[in-house]
Amino acid sequence: MACRRIGCHGHTLSPASSINCVKALATGIRTHSICMVSDFFYPNMGGVESHIYQLSHCLIERGHKVIIVTHAYGNRKGIRYLANGLKVYYLPLKVMYNQSTATTLFHSLPLLRYIFVRERVTIVHSHSSFSSMAHDALFHAKTMGLQTVFTDHSLFGFADVSSVLTNKLLTVSLCDTNHIICVSYTSKENTVLRAALNPEIVSVIPNAVDPTDFTPDPSRRDDSTITVVVVSRLVYRKGIDLLSGIIPELCQKYPDLHFLVGGEGPKRIVLEEVRERYQLHDRVRLLGALEHQDVRNVLVQGHIFLNTSLTEAFCMAIVEAASCGLQVVSTRVGGIPEVLPENLIVLCEPSVKSLCDGLEKAVAQIRSGTLPTPETIHNKVKTFYTWRNVAERTAKVYDRVADEVVLPMDKRLDRLISHCGSVTGCIFALFAVLSFLFLVFLRWMTPDSIIDVAVDATGPSGAWTQQYFPSKKGSEKEEIPDC
Amino acid sequence: MEEGVYRAVSGGRIALQRRQYSASCREFSVRCPRLQLRSLSAATCSVWLAAYGLFVLSQNSMVLSAAIFITLIGLIVYLHFVKIDHESLLVIGSLGIQMTSSYASGKENTTFIEMSQVKDVVINEAIYMQKVIYYLCILLQDPGEPHGVSEVVPLFQSSKPRLDCLVEVYRSCQEILEQRKT
Amino acid sequence: MNEAVYTASHWQSWKYCPGLMSFQVLRSSRIAVMVLKVFFPSCCATAESGLLIGRWIPEQNSAVVLAVVHFPFIPGQVKQYLSEVQRVTQVNMCVLGSWSNSKQEKEEVLVKFLEDLSTIFSHEPWIQLNKERDSRVWSCCIFQKYPSSPKEDEFILVYYDQRKVMLSQLHPTDNLTTSADHKGNDASKLGAVFDTVAKSKVLFMTDRYDDGPIKLTHWQSEGVEASIIMELMKQASVPVCMLLTFLLSLVSSVYKSRVLKLWPLSFIWSKLSTCEQLGHRLEHLQIISSNRKAQNQTQLMRKANIFVSLLIDMALGILLMSWLYRENRIGQLADTLIPVADHIAKELQDLLQWLMGVPAGLKMNRALDQVLGRFFLYHIHLWISYIHLMSPFIEMILWYVGLSACLGLTVALSILSDIIALLTFHIYCFYVYGARLYCLKIYGLSSLWRLFRGKKWNVLRQRVDSCSYDLDQLFIGTLLFTILLFLLPTTALYYLVFTLLRLLVVVVQGLIHLLVDLIDSLPLYSVILRLCRSYRLAAGVKFRVLEQKAGKPLRLLMQINPLSYGSVVQTYRLPTYACYPKDSWSSLCKKLFVGELIYPWKHKGEKQD
Repeated sequence: MACRRIGCHGHTLSPASSINCVKALATGIRTHSICMVSDFFYPNMGGVESHIYQLSHCLIERGHKVIIVTHAYGNRKGIRYLANGLKVYYLPLKVMYNQSTATTLFHSLPLLRYIFVRERVTIVHSHSSFSSMAHDALFHAKTMGLQTVFTDHSLFGFADVSSVLTNKLLTVSLCDTNHIICVSYTSKENTVLRAALNPEIVSVIPNAVDPTDFTPDPSRRDDSTITVVVVSRLVYRKGIDLLSGIIPELCQKYPDLHFLVGGEGPKRIVLEEVRERYQLHDRVRLLGALEHQDVRNVLVQGHIFLNTSLTEAFCMAIVEAASCGLQVVSTRVGGIPEVLPENLIVLCEPSVKSLCDGLEKAVAQIRSGTLPTPETIHNKVKTFYTWRNVAERTAKVYDRVADEVVLPMDKRLDRLISHCGSVTGCIFALFAVLSFLFLVFLRWMTPDSIIDVAVDATGPSGAWTQQYFPSKKGSEKEEIPDC
Repeated sequence: MEEGVYRAVSGGRIALQRRQYSASCREFSVRCPRLQLRSLSAATCSVWLAAYGLFVLSQNSMVLSAAIFITLIGLIVYLHFVKIDHESLLVIGSLGIQMTSSYASGKENTTFIEMSQVKDVVINEAIYMQKVIYYLCILLQDPGEPHGVSEVVPLFQSSKPRLDCLVEVYRSCQEILEQRKT
Repeated sequence: MNEAVYTASHWQSWKYCPGLMSFQVLRSSRIAVMVLKVFFPSCCATAESGLLIGRWIPEQNSAVVLAVVHFPFIPGQVKQYLSEVQRVTQVNMCVLGSWSNSKQEKEEVLVKFLEDLSTIFSHEPWIQLNKERDSRVWSCCIFQKYPSSPKEDEFILVYYDQRKVMLSQLHPTDNLTTSADHKGNDASKLGAVFDTVAKSKVLFMTDRYDDGPIKLTHWQSEGVEASIIMELMKQASVPVCMLLTFLLSLVSSVYKSRVLKLWPLSFIWSKLSTCEQLGHRLEHLQIISSNRKAQNQTQLMRKANIFVSLLIDMALGILLMSWLYRENRIGQLADTLIPVADHIAKELQDLLQWLMGVPAGLKMNRALDQVLGRFFLYHIHLWISYIHLMSPFIEMILWYVGLSACLGLTVALSILSDIIALLTFHIYCFYVYGARLYCLKIYGLSSLWRLFRGKKWNVLRQRVDSCSYDLDQLFIGTLLFTILLFLLPTTALYYLVFTLLRLLVVVVQGLIHLLVDLIDSLPLYSVILRLCRSYRLAAGVKFRVLEQKAGKPLRLLMQINPLSYGSVVQTYRLPTYACYPKDSWSSLCKKLFVGELIYPWKHKGEKQD
């Protein structure tokens, strides 16, 4: 996947854009040294992961220095370089639940501080509120006096105990963060409410897709039947239980309707049972886990894309599907209504009946041939979301953040206590003080002066440019002697 | 013979000695940070104090003699198996690369890698304990495929010099390795 | 994400680059340097002037000198000798060059003569080594009749100890070994040198006895007498081995006979560790006494290791026996054994009484508790009467069993382990009853829990399906679930207590087995060899740079780098029969939790996979 991305990246790096870049440099746009922190990164797959990857590449292209910090995935630990010298630190931290690391608020400080110092980071950009590492990094960065930015990729409820707790933590984590980025207006509204934020410091920058990856190919579909494609992780959040209600109902009504389900998860068993009970083995195909590069090949085989998510901040899957020229049927939840214009999407309520109606409407449109051709849909969607645009807007946020002051310790404590409620505020103020003392201790143990400055691979003064490395060396295994 | 003083990753002083025997034969020797009298006496004192405490509690003089014994044995084991005095790297252009680590007691541990197995010598980054450090390593040629690397052998593992020292060694090594290729 | 594609797309290792450009410039100005390596035996350093003979390895551009031929010689004879040696050793021997050890200044003529020799013995690079008087630094030059390229030659003189290199065996380190199919073209350079020197051993063996027309200087082995004694012992060992083999074949035929293959016997054999150990030792004896010559070094070492470990084992066993049969120790042992068994039974009875009451303040199901307690008490009663029945014979049994110690300490230890197993049979029984009951309950509970949630286990698909049950099915299921759940603590407590006892016994037995395995598998001969003749087991070589003088060739001393003790043990460890199961800790805990039986020996089923 990375390879393909890189391929297209090189391809999109047209002369015009590089001229732009140079011009920008010549006119002296500010460059920052940015550290992206999240628990979620490749080889894990998902929206956050590709968001970080693409955004980093576009920022590097704009002349910033970007590094990524995440936790170790199995054997992939240590320091790796991706294309264009994008450096990734896979830190050996224990994974607790759902690829998220365990947090004690302190144990990651020595390593993160070492990295921030050796890479001369100026802005710490954390991603995803599910990632405890991202929150840890925000906390440490504030202690160290670095500017902080946070991107929220998901929506939460307010009702149950777990979301009340998470929201409280989010309040603490974001109360002195310089700037927050959300992926849709719904998400912004949600985040502002959850974390009790000033809406002024929350920006909306949507996700993007690489339109060149998702091109339509009508020859791949079988026009004698109608195929509904579902590509998502098979988990509760994605509404797989709704899907299991829809499949038998529609299959009875339309004998030429086929379902193609890509993805893996604990709810797969539900679909398998439905398939067995109604004898639909020839009409419902479960493809299992998909590699990212296979997603397009699955998408182009269908006519309709069905999304049954129960909550979604910004649904990238429907943009990808629309980019492949499919008619999209989706639930009207979260930020989904903002993503695509009315004529490209059929929105339904998250119930079996409503979704069935929506699908029937889409089928009727296909039967009658009133739909625009895949090419027209693709050309329209292509213009909506691009990573270059995302990077440009993010860079503006960075510029703004860089001018702001980081709260000094006393103000930070004041803010924590005044902003997060008396009990939580006091506890976390205490944590902040402890963390500061720990930092002082670390600075005494290994002063900043004896930390080697990392050789910069990217950015304007990067060592890793083509002239030094005429040919690519084979990839080699990294090893950590003792860790 | 040239000598330079550098710093280790931990902040201690290390000395890099460079001997040039001939055009294709060089030796680099890194002297590790010396054993601190402070830490040695602190360790000894703590063991003896603990022993004395036990002695006061139990009134058994065996404890004291055992403490002396433990300290002595511990010191010997430390000097013989743990404390590395200096590490050297001998690069002989046509033969190979030899790594030697000498313990404080004089014990030597030597590994010789033939030139045909050496693919390259590079500087790499690694996460070590709570630090991110640069280290010099030898890449071994994978016999199966010409571009593959079968193993990475880290150098100067106990002294862990900082980047400036590694760059010195790296440049010298590359000079010799380049002769091999032509 | 496709892992392979992913890794290929980025660089994980990279050269440090600032300053690389300057090297590029430097490199281009350099002329290609050919480095010529001469491996020279250090024992020949004092030899008189003459000819260097040895092998030329062209692909490495190195010459391995094996010996020096002194003056005077007739060139024809030298050539003939070389061809003869070549036939015997299969090493491509040739005259490499000349050697002059000038004691006085007068040898101008000789130098001239030596140069002339190169026309007689044609060899492509003709090497000339000159040692000046009282000088440690030699000069070295090379003649090429057809100076093909204007190469600037560089010399490296490597001294080596011929005897050590000849006798040592190179152990390629595991991580550096190449796979077998690459060995042909990619054999290590030093391997070739070692090989050459080792093969030339024959040359010197023949040379020792007869004085040929050619005088050589090379490694001379001392102690011809010792080798004669060795030779005689070798001769004598043949009939001894024959006799042993005959006896062993008798024993093994008995061992393999049909009678012992019958069901109850074979079952008992497989469970008794003594029998396993005896069989293992028999195998060892067969290996040692076989007439077949060991094909390679590994097999030879294996034989020697087995022999030494057998000897040590026997010696320890006889030591034990001599201790046991003195001062009526057997009688004392028997006298203590019975009270100990009684005492254990008594303690168990007390434990059961405690369990039948209110153990640790827990309130148990009274009825079930009483039933279980009585059942176990009856067992103990049976056991005590059995022990008392046996008590008059115990001493005699011990006396005869003690004799087996002469077969080796390991056999005695295995017998001890078996005796422990027999004496704690009641604990084993309790454990099995407890475990079975507990296991049954756990299974019942887990399937009823599934029923509770409207699921069922699909045997055909090996997964949990959802299933809709009738009302009465649900009712009965729930009822059973409740009953089982409330009875669980009682069973679980019994299970827990007896499992702990069982684990204690298993740990003791495991320790004994570990000791036996240690004696069985430790390669003592190799370890002693490493201790006394460390050069025999070489992990590789190490070089030391000898003192330099400007303008003279680089001089290195090649020494043998001995194998570390850890890898000696690892390489030559003897295989054991390893009857204990190789469970990981987590799987053991899981087994204990589910109530599966644990054994100190392997299951039949486990053996298959």
